[in-house]
Amino acid sequence: MLPQESPSGELPMNTQVMRLLSGVSVHGDQHLAEVERDLVQMDVLLDEAIKKLCTNFMAIHHAVDRQQEALNGLLAGSMPASEYAARFEALRGEIGQHVGAAVTGLQFQDMTSQLIGRMVQHLAGLRDVFGALDTNGAALPESGNEALLALLGDIGKRVGVRSSGVRSTVNQRHMESGDIELF
Amino acid sequence: MSKTILAVDDSGSLRQMLSFSLKAAGYGVVEAVDGQDGLDKARKQTVDLVLTDQNMPGMDGLSLIKALRGMKNYQNVPILMLTTEAGDDMKAMGRAAGANGWLVKPFDPARLTEVVKKLIG
Repeated sequence: MLPQESPSGELPMNTQVMRLLSGVSVHGDQHLAEVERDLVQMDVLLDEAIKKLCTNFMAIHHAVDRQQEALNGLLAGSMPASEYAARFEALRGEIGQHVGAAVTGLQFQDMTSQLIGRMVQHLAGLRDVFGALDTNGAALPESGNEALLALLGDIGKRVGVRSSGVRSTVNQRHMESGDIELF
Repeated sequence: MSKTILAVDDSGSLRQMLSFSLKAAGYGVVEAVDGQDGLDKARKQTVDLVLTDQNMPGMDGLSLIKALRGMKNYQNVPILMLTTEAGDDMKAMGRAAGANGWLVKPFDPARLTEVVKKLIG
């Protein structure tokens, strides 16, 4: 059965209240779902980044140890210097690779910071939804259905306004280097 | 004389990583904290390549590219976007604004310098 309209064309108060509550629920839920999604995404990125950084830190440590061993051998004169030159060059390349991978892993700060920024915006959106209710709730007219209906309609509109300016999310699931496309 | 790259990103750690990687490859680096800062620095000194993030407070990357392409001395300077945005629609907007390439974060220093070398030597 369709809700009956008042002579002025407005929906009855109980329908307006139900719509208002539904709007609050939907918009609050949308903001919280985005926050939840960003938290999961942040957890994935942090986990990947820490693993990557640990692996590369240990690899650099081992390579530096081997570099020191080679240096000690060179000083002791146990092998021809030309053989050490090749070994040092190989170790330099190896360390460079691990440092490069660590640089990629260290970019987690930039990506998680973007996710945190998004979460802050969504929480601010949620606060706005409740703020609209609180501000208007304090000023509810004591009598007069029409005034009350108009007020409920106004709250409904304010709750219905989607928060704008929330930046797009970070979709990367791995801390591996991204695609490169030259135009 | 080494070529100079303007690196524009609001993240301090990302600028540090870019600067470290590009300097290690022999390039000079000028850092800027957002689009407006990048534009100001590009006006003071003509650089050989611009590498910019998209989402920054104030002036974003696309606006920076449009502003640079409006300047006579930046019409042929390679500009690369380095961003977390990977959507085709954003790439198309970047291309239309005048970007020469799109790099999705996180970047690998070796691959980044390879691309830069290809564009400016």
